[in-house]
Amino acid sequence: MDGSINSATAVSTKNSKTVKYPYYIEDPVTENRVARFLEAFAAVVKYSDYKPLLDSYCTSTAKCNRCAVACPVFLATGDPKDIPCYRTNLLLETYRRYFTIGGWLKSRFGGGFELTDEIIDEMLDGFYRCTACRRCTRECPMGVDHGLITHLGRYILSLIGIVPKALQVSVREQLEGETRNTSKVPKAALLNTLEFLSDEMEESLGVKLQFPVDEPGRDYVFFCAVSDYLMEPETLMGNAAVLYAAGDWDRWTIGTGNYDGINYGLFYSDWHLENIIKQLISEVTRLNGKSILIGECGHASRSAHDFVPVFGGKEAYPVTNFMEYTLDCIRKGKITLDPDIVTERVTYHDPCNIARSGWIVDQPREILRSFVKDFVDMKPAGQDNFCCGGGGGLVSVDEIHEFRMSVGGRVKAEQLRKTGASICIAPCANCKKQLKELVEYYEIPCRVMGLHDLILRAIQIPGGKSTAERKEEAAMLEI
Amino acid sequence: MEQWIEFAKGPLFAFTFLIMILGLARLVVIQIFSLITGKGRRLRNAPWRKIIADAASWVVPVKHLIPGTKIFSTLSYLFHIGVLLVPLFLADHIVLWEGFLGINLPAIGYGVADSLTLFTIFCVIIMFSFRLFSRRLRSMSRHADYGLLIAVIIPFISGYLATHPSYNPFPWDVMMLIHLLSAELLFVLIPFTKLAHIVLFFFDRISGLHWQLRPGAGDKVAEELYGKEARV
Repeated sequence: MDGSINSATAVSTKNSKTVKYPYYIEDPVTENRVARFLEAFAAVVKYSDYKPLLDSYCTSTAKCNRCAVACPVFLATGDPKDIPCYRTNLLLETYRRYFTIGGWLKSRFGGGFELTDEIIDEMLDGFYRCTACRRCTRECPMGVDHGLITHLGRYILSLIGIVPKALQVSVREQLEGETRNTSKVPKAALLNTLEFLSDEMEESLGVKLQFPVDEPGRDYVFFCAVSDYLMEPETLMGNAAVLYAAGDWDRWTIGTGNYDGINYGLFYSDWHLENIIKQLISEVTRLNGKSILIGECGHASRSAHDFVPVFGGKEAYPVTNFMEYTLDCIRKGKITLDPDIVTERVTYHDPCNIARSGWIVDQPREILRSFVKDFVDMKPAGQDNFCCGGGGGLVSVDEIHEFRMSVGGRVKAEQLRKTGASICIAPCANCKKQLKELVEYYEIPCRVMGLHDLILRAIQIPGGKSTAERKEEAAMLEI
Repeated sequence: MEQWIEFAKGPLFAFTFLIMILGLARLVVIQIFSLITGKGRRLRNAPWRKIIADAASWVVPVKHLIPGTKIFSTLSYLFHIGVLLVPLFLADHIVLWEGFLGINLPAIGYGVADSLTLFTIFCVIIMFSFRLFSRRLRSMSRHADYGLLIAVIIPFISGYLATHPSYNPFPWDVMMLIHLLSAELLFVLIPFTKLAHIVLFFFDRISGLHWQLRPGAGDKVAEELYGKEARV
């Protein structure tokens, strides 16, 4: 497969219609898609715990449309096919018809639902138009988790080879490749990057720090989105600066056996979700670490926080998001942030994977309010904040860029513009990528950065350059 | 006609009520059994406090009045007040509960019951109109969504007319029979339609629990479909 658009074209077996997929797929299934889908669905129902959920949802969805007015995609398109309940119903009707007695009985009386190639086409399109932000779930009076149904629908599709190539290739490298990470960053490149960051920090902060690598017995084994090592040096330097200033430099380490917190299994596969978590846990065990410290990545944080306890067994290490750690340092007086450095108006974007459940909502705000003079919240904010438009792995699928900009991210862009902020904090690798593309697409005069990028500017470094000196040097560089 | 009414008030009421109770009980038992056998110890990891707090926030869901759905949501919520209070606490119904179940519930006054009944009818008419005329709602609505609204409104209309002869164009016994039969139809429909949200509401809300996936399931699914050498 050469990855061109033509390679993403499959021939439907029904009516010999040519089907074009909305994203590149490595090996499109062309024969007996319906039968294979049902076979995969049956296997999932047999071995997993989805049955009670599906039974309950099948019976009780209210068709009230509250999910529609909560969904950023529907709010942008107004297309009934973008209503979360419509999409969820595609899977529920399939379940009811083929896996329940009531559905079988109903089918004896003529007409009714039958799974077809066209419906599979709707699913493979619809489930990847959903950003899995679960805003709909918060507004559903029944509490139907449409994000979970999107995950399940994508899981079943992936079992018949229908998954965006970008995600599949990344996971394959992470689970079966040499580098064991989604960006194919070899160990040598990681070590080079850490050397580079060390030099940068010496130049900008005035302290020489050797990043701890493969140190055994540390309290924290650090994982971030591996792409941060290549693309977000300031976030990582901000993380390192907090650890150093707090006197915790000897309490953490990066492991070269596995240094990627990304988990695309959360987006589309229980199988990969579990195996990636196990890989994470193995690295902590290898290093005899005591807990997992996740950098600024929403889905990496949620994957580890929610699923290490599920899949970890006796090795279910505690998981801390870096913002929780930083806030703890501030509250205990272990670090000091200069309140005179950041003068711009700053706003905060809540990454869905850490905010929707209410886990990380107040912590970053408390951090920001401790050193930012002009902080303004988006409306709505917190658990009800809108998705960046690139959630659920969509940001990694480059060929749907236009969809992410003009549909997925439209509401977010309006929200951002209304704040009038010149800095938007987005403590998530995927959200940052999406928001950076959004501000360019909609010409919004706003810089998107991680929380620790901003902290890096304001943190007092013991034995290093002062914040004022660093601000002056940074201003000179910009000139 | 009197014999039909006695039959509807007696054996048919008992039979249909039993179908409703057993049907709902079956749903509850299946859900609990599936969760315990499926999730087992992982039930402990679920964010129970958040789940309960979330479910509780829907008892008086003021914060869930979001733009685009305020009227429909408000009416849908308020409609439940009449739907719950009138069948349970109207004096004429309490006689039935006492006779069949031996439970003595307090009665609401006829004036209150009349107001609640009319308000319920009003809510149903508006909700039905929304489903007819709102493109967004119409796109999601199934036949059952219209049918169930009709099934709910008929006992209320017939009950009101039976107790207000001046508005009733039909003989009392005909209206009473319609009232009884339509209510009993609802009993039968409840466990087999979305009206089962009476008991399923809580099980739907525990999505935090449903994310407690079964360890090892992914490997088993992959092996069943692609053999031991299944690859990404």
